[in-house]
Amino acid sequence: MKMAALCSEFGDLAQIKKQLISVISLCKERGVLHSAKWASELAFALDPLPKDNLPPEPAFTEEDAQDLDAFTLAKSYFDLKEYDRAAYFLKGCCSQKAYFLYMYSRYLSGEKKKDDETVDSLGPLEKGQVRNEALRELRVELSKKHTARELDGFTLYLYGVVLRKLDLLKEAVEVFVEAIQALPLHWGAWLELSNLITNIEMLKSLSLPDCWIKDFFMAHMYTELQMIKEALQKYQNLIEAGFSKSTYIISQIAVAYHNIRDIDQALALFNELREHDPYRIDNMDTFSNLLYVKCFVSLQSMKPELSYLAHNLVEIDKYRVETCCVIGNYYSLRSQHEKAALYFQRALKLNPRCLGAWTLMGHEYMEMKNTSAAIQAYRHAIEVNKRDYRAWYGLGQTYEILKMPFYCLYYYRKAHQLRPNDSRMLVALGESYEKLSQQVEAKKCYWRAYSVGDVEKMALLKLAKLHEQLNESDDAAQCYMLYIQDIFSCGEQLEHAEVSTALRYLGQYYFKSKLYDEASICAQRCCDYNDAREEGKALLRQISQVRDQVETPSADLFTPLSNINTPVRRVSPLNLISFTP
Amino acid sequence: MASVHESLYFNPMMTNGVVHANVFGIKDWVSPYKISVLALLYEMTSSKITLPERRRLNKLILPLQQGPDLSLGQFLKTVEECCPKTAYAVKLRLHEMADGELKDMEYFFSTLPTPFTAFDSEAYKTSVVGLFMRHMLLAYNKLSFSQVYKLYKSLQHYYHSHYAKPTDGQVCVPTLAADDSDMDLTSTEDTVGDRADKEELDTPLHESELRCDNTPSRGPLSQKQAEYFLSRQAYLLKNDENKALRPAALQEELNNMLKFNPDFAEAHYLNYLNSMRVQDIFLSAHSLLHYFDRLILSSNEGKSNGDEGYGRSLRYAALNLASLHCRFGHYQQADLALQEAIRIAQESNDHVCLQHCLSWLYTLEHMKGSESTVLTQDSVKMAAHFCLPYLGSLDIQSLVQQGAMQGKAAHKLMDALKDTEILHWKHSLSELIEISLAQTTSIWRMYGKSTMALQQAQLLLNMSSLEPVNFGVHQNNTEAFAVALCHLAELHAEQGLYSATAEIFQHLKEQFPPHTQHSKLWMLCNLKIQFERHMNNRKYHLAEPLVKAMSALNKTEGLYRKAQVLKALNRSTEAYSILQQLQVHCEKTKCTEIIIRVMLSTAELHWESSSFSTALPLLLQALALARQHHLQSLASEGVLHLAFTQLMLGIPGQALTVLHEAMEPILAHGAVIDKGRAMLLAARCHMAVAGFRLKEQGHLGQHSAALAVDGLNEAESYFSRLSCKERLRDVHYLQAQLHRSLGQTAQSNKSAMNFRLLDQELQSPAPPVFMQL
Repeated sequence: MKMAALCSEFGDLAQIKKQLISVISLCKERGVLHSAKWASELAFALDPLPKDNLPPEPAFTEEDAQDLDAFTLAKSYFDLKEYDRAAYFLKGCCSQKAYFLYMYSRYLSGEKKKDDETVDSLGPLEKGQVRNEALRELRVELSKKHTARELDGFTLYLYGVVLRKLDLLKEAVEVFVEAIQALPLHWGAWLELSNLITNIEMLKSLSLPDCWIKDFFMAHMYTELQMIKEALQKYQNLIEAGFSKSTYIISQIAVAYHNIRDIDQALALFNELREHDPYRIDNMDTFSNLLYVKCFVSLQSMKPELSYLAHNLVEIDKYRVETCCVIGNYYSLRSQHEKAALYFQRALKLNPRCLGAWTLMGHEYMEMKNTSAAIQAYRHAIEVNKRDYRAWYGLGQTYEILKMPFYCLYYYRKAHQLRPNDSRMLVALGESYEKLSQQVEAKKCYWRAYSVGDVEKMALLKLAKLHEQLNESDDAAQCYMLYIQDIFSCGEQLEHAEVSTALRYLGQYYFKSKLYDEASICAQRCCDYNDAREEGKALLRQISQVRDQVETPSADLFTPLSNINTPVRRVSPLNLISFTP
Repeated sequence: MASVHESLYFNPMMTNGVVHANVFGIKDWVSPYKISVLALLYEMTSSKITLPERRRLNKLILPLQQGPDLSLGQFLKTVEECCPKTAYAVKLRLHEMADGELKDMEYFFSTLPTPFTAFDSEAYKTSVVGLFMRHMLLAYNKLSFSQVYKLYKSLQHYYHSHYAKPTDGQVCVPTLAADDSDMDLTSTEDTVGDRADKEELDTPLHESELRCDNTPSRGPLSQKQAEYFLSRQAYLLKNDENKALRPAALQEELNNMLKFNPDFAEAHYLNYLNSMRVQDIFLSAHSLLHYFDRLILSSNEGKSNGDEGYGRSLRYAALNLASLHCRFGHYQQADLALQEAIRIAQESNDHVCLQHCLSWLYTLEHMKGSESTVLTQDSVKMAAHFCLPYLGSLDIQSLVQQGAMQGKAAHKLMDALKDTEILHWKHSLSELIEISLAQTTSIWRMYGKSTMALQQAQLLLNMSSLEPVNFGVHQNNTEAFAVALCHLAELHAEQGLYSATAEIFQHLKEQFPPHTQHSKLWMLCNLKIQFERHMNNRKYHLAEPLVKAMSALNKTEGLYRKAQVLKALNRSTEAYSILQQLQVHCEKTKCTEIIIRVMLSTAELHWESSSFSTALPLLLQALALARQHHLQSLASEGVLHLAFTQLMLGIPGQALTVLHEAMEPILAHGAVIDKGRAMLLAARCHMAVAGFRLKEQGHLGQHSAALAVDGLNEAESYFSRLSCKERLRDVHYLQAQLHRSLGQTAQSNKSAMNFRLLDQELQSPAPPVFMQL
C-alpha cells in the first residue's frame, strides 16, 4: 500500500520538476529572486528531464509583446537596483508581468529609501517612525485592483507583503492565502504566510490548495511551531517521496533536530549538508551553535571544526549575518568574549531583527560579567520576539548572578511557560526557590525537572540534597538511588557527576536502618572514588564492628526480632551489583 | 482607621512627593509643528498686538511648546481664538515657506531673533521663549542637507494636508484624515465634559490645554513632549485619577509612544502605574520589570553615576516589586522581594534604600496584621540620622496610628503629630500634611470627639493644594481625602442629616470611582451608615443583605454586623457563637474598638435571657477597656448599658448616678440616636425612682416625674428628628403612662393617640419596651 503511494509520488516527480522549471522562469522574469532560488534548489535535487519533456515556454500574449521593449529595459534597470528608473519606464504598461514589476520596483524603491533614511533621520525618536512612504499608495492602488479581481498570483503576493508591512496582519493573511491559491508554486507567498501564523489552530483554519508544495509548507510550519515530531515525520515522507537530495530538506531536518537538542543527529546532517553544498551560508549559524554546545556537553573539543567553519565562511562572504554569528561563536569558544560581542554586534548591524544574535550577545556580556549590557541585549531579543525563551532564561540568569533570586523567578517562570518541558528552566526555578528557602516549591520544581527528562542530570541530586537538608532521609535515599540509576543508565561519564556523594549518603542511610548488606555494598562502591574512599572504608569498618556485636549473642534468637524492628521503608533495597561504573 | 500608607509606592520620578521627570538630557528636534510655533513666536515679538490679545497668547505659549504636535488646523484654530490677526500672519508666513522653495525656510530660520543678541525682547536667552528658540536653532543647525530637505518636504506636507483635506484628502491619505476626525470628536467631547466640571476654565488657554492632554496624539513625541506627557499623567494618576486619561486610552497612548521609541523606559513605568489602576497583575509586573531592565541600561549609559547608579536601580527594582506584590495582597511574595531588596541594599551600604525598605517592612508587617512598633521606632531613628524628613515623619505617623490603637495617651500622640506637622510645613511635604490632617480626624473620631473631628476634616477639605505644579487639580484623590470625606459623611449621618450624607457620597463616587484603589473606603462607610439606619428603624430585613456586602469589604466588620442582625432577629445562639469567635479574633489582632463593641453586644444577649447580673462584669470590663483607650463614645455607650442593667436590676437610683456621668459627653459629641437613647433611659430611671417613691413621699416623686417628662419630651424630639418611628412609639407609650399616673389626662390621651397612630402605621407588635435600651 505504502509502496504504491510512494510509486505514484515518484510518478509525479517528473510532473513536479516540470512545474518547478516553469515557476523558476516566471519568478526570474519578475525579479522574485528568493523564490526562484528555492525552486531551483528543489529542482536541482530531482532527476533531469529528457529534452522533449521540458515544459513549454509560457504563452506570449499580445500585451506582452507590446510591453516587451519597455519591460526589457526596465528589467535591466531593476537588476541594477535602479528601481525608480525601472518604475518610470514601466508606467502605462498593461501586461500582468510589467504591472507586477512596476509595482515591485516601486515597493523596493521605497524600502531602499527607508533603509537609507534610517541613517539620517531627523531626531532620535523618529527612528521607529521611518517607514516606506510608498506603501500607502501601493496599498490604495492594489486594493482597487484587488476588488476588481485583476491581480494575478505575484501581484497578490506583493499586495500581501504591502499589507503586512502596514501591520494589517489579518488582511495580509487573507491575501496571501489568495495568492497561494492563484499560484501555489510560489514559495515566497507560503513563507510570508508562515510568518503570520501564530498557532496550530490558525494553521488548521486556513483553506490551502492541495498541492505537493503544501507538504513542504506544513513541515516548515511544524518546525516553526515547535512541533518537531510532526515536522520530522513530514520531512521523512518527503525524502521517501524522492526529494532525498534536496539540501533544503536536509537543512530543515538538521534545524529541527537542533530544536529538540538532538545534537549528534543535527551535526551529522550539517556535515552531510556541507559536503553537498560547501559554499552554503544559510543555517551555518545554527551549525556553529551546535558545534559550540557540543563542546560543553561532551567535553570533546570541537574547536578545530568551528574554526574551520569560520575561516571557510569568511572566505565565502564575510558580510553575512550568519558568518558574523559563526565567528562570534568561535571567539566565544576561545573565551575571547569582547571580540565575540563585537561580531554579534556586527551581525546586528547587518540585520537588526536577527534574534539569535541579540541573545548570543547577551550570553557574551554575561561571560564578561557586564550584566547591564547583558540585560540590555536580552531585552532587545525579547522585544524582537517575545517568545524567545533563551533570552528570558538569560535575563533570569543575569539577575541570579546579581544575587536577586526572587527577582529572577519572574524571568525563569516566563522561560518555563514558553518551554514547559525543558528541565533547565525548572532546575533554575528550583534553585531560586531553594535560595529563597521555599523548599516545597523547590522540591516540586526538581521533581518536575526529573519527570520531563533532565538534560543535565542535576535535578535529582539537588532534590536529594534538599531532602537531606530537611531530614527527610527516606525521600533523600530514594532520590539518590534514582540518581545513581540515572547516571549509570545514560552511559556517558559526566563531568559533574556526584555519584560518590550519593553512595556515601546511601551507605550511611542503610547503616542507620540496619541494612548492613546494602550498606556494605555502597561503602565498597564508595571506595572506587577518590573523594569518598576514606569514608567508605570507615563505614565498612563500622559495619563489621556492628555485625560482630550482633552476631556474638545467639543469632537465632535475635534475627526475627531485628527484622521486626527494621524501620518501615519506602525504599526497596537495590541490587547495586548491577551497576557498572 | 484605615492604613494611610498604601498609596505610597516608591516612584523614581518623585523626590519628597514632587514628580520630576526631566532627568534626561535635553533632546528636541525641529518638526513642521515646531516651525509653526516658531513662526507664532516670531510674529509675537515683531508685530504690535493689543494687550488683552497678547495676554491670551502669552498664556498659550507654554502648552504649545510642551504639548504634543498638533495638526495645522488645530494649531491655527487655537491661535485664532486668541488673536485672529496673528493667526493670519502665521498662516501667511507658513504659506510663504511651503509654497516657496527650500531657501524660504532657510531664510526664515536666519531671520529669527537670535536669543543671544536680543537683550530687550522676550526672546532673550534665559526666557522660556528664548530657551525654546535656542533649542530649535541648535537642532536646525545640526541637520544635514538631506535632513533639511526632508524637513522642508514634511513642512510642505503639513501645510498642504491641512488644505487638501476637504477636497480629495479622503482617498489619498485615508489614515491621516481618519485620525483628524477622530481627534476632533474626542476633543470636543472631553472639553465639554470638563467645562461643565469647572466653570473658571473659560479661557482659551485651558481649553487648548485640555485638548492637548485629552486627545490621543498619533505622531511621535519629542523627548521633551513625551516627558511632559508622562510627568503630567503620572502626577494626575497620583493625585487626581479622574482627570488622567482613562486606562485604555492611556495604554494606547503609551503603546504608541513605545512604538516610536522603545527606549523610552519611563513609559513602561507609567504603564505599570496604569495597569495597577485596573488591577492587572500580569501586565503591571511585566511593565515594572521591563522598566527596570531599561533603567539599568540607561543609568549605566550615563557614566556620571557609573556603577553606583546601576546597583541603585537594582535595589529599587526589588523594592518596587515588593510594593507591587503588597498592593495585590501577595504578602509572602512581597516579603521575599523585600528581603532581597534589603539584602542588596545592605551589601552596598545604601542607607537611604534601606530606610525605604524598613518603611515597607513595617507596612508589610502591619498589613499582615502583626505588631511592628519596634520596627517603626527604629525606622524613625534611622530616618532622623540620614535626614530623610519624608520617611521620618511618615514613620512617626504610623507610630501615632499604632499608639492610638494601643491606647497611648492622647496628648503624646497629638504632640508627636504637631512636631511632624512643623517638619511638613518646613519641607512643604503636602502629601504628608494631608495624611496628618486625615489622621487627626480619625483619631478624634476614635476618641469620640465629633466636633474636633469635624473641624479637622473641614480643615483638610478646605485646604488648597500645596503642590508646586498642579495641573488644574483642585482636590487630590488621595487616600487622605477619602478618609476625611468618609468621616464627614459618618458625622453627618450621626446627626441625622441624611441628604447631606448622600451628597457627600455622590461626591466620593465621582472622585473615587468604584474601580479605583480607595473606593472600598467609602463603600464600606456607606454600607455602615445604611445598616445603622435600618437597624435603628428596626428594618432588619433591609439590614441583612447589607451584611454580605460588608463582609466582602471587611471581614471583621461584616461578622460583627452579622451578629447584630442575628441578635435583633432573636437568633441568640448563632449570634453568641459569632460574637465569641469575633472576640477571639480581635484579641489576636488587637482591635480594641471591635472588642468593646463585641462585649457590649454580648451583654445585650445576656439581657435577652434576663440574666442581667451576668452582663455586669462584661460591661465593666468593656468600660475599663474603653476608658483605658480613651474611647469616649464607646465608654459612654458602656455607661448606658451599665445604667440600663442597673435599672433592670431594680436600682434606678444607682443607674441615674452612673448615667449622669455619660450624659454630658453624649449630649456634646454623641449621635442623635444616642442622645435620644440616653434621654429615654434617664426618663425611665426617673420614672422608676418616682414610681418607687410615689407611694411614700409625693413631693419628691413629683420632682422625678417632672424630670422624666422633660427627658421623654427631649427624647421624642431626637427620635422624631431621625424619624425613628419604633422608638417614638415607645416614647409615646411611656409618656401616656406617665401622664396618666400624674393625673394629666389630656396629655395622656394625646400621647396615647400618638402611640395608637404610630402603632397602626407600623403594623408590627411592639417588642417589650422594658427589654431594650
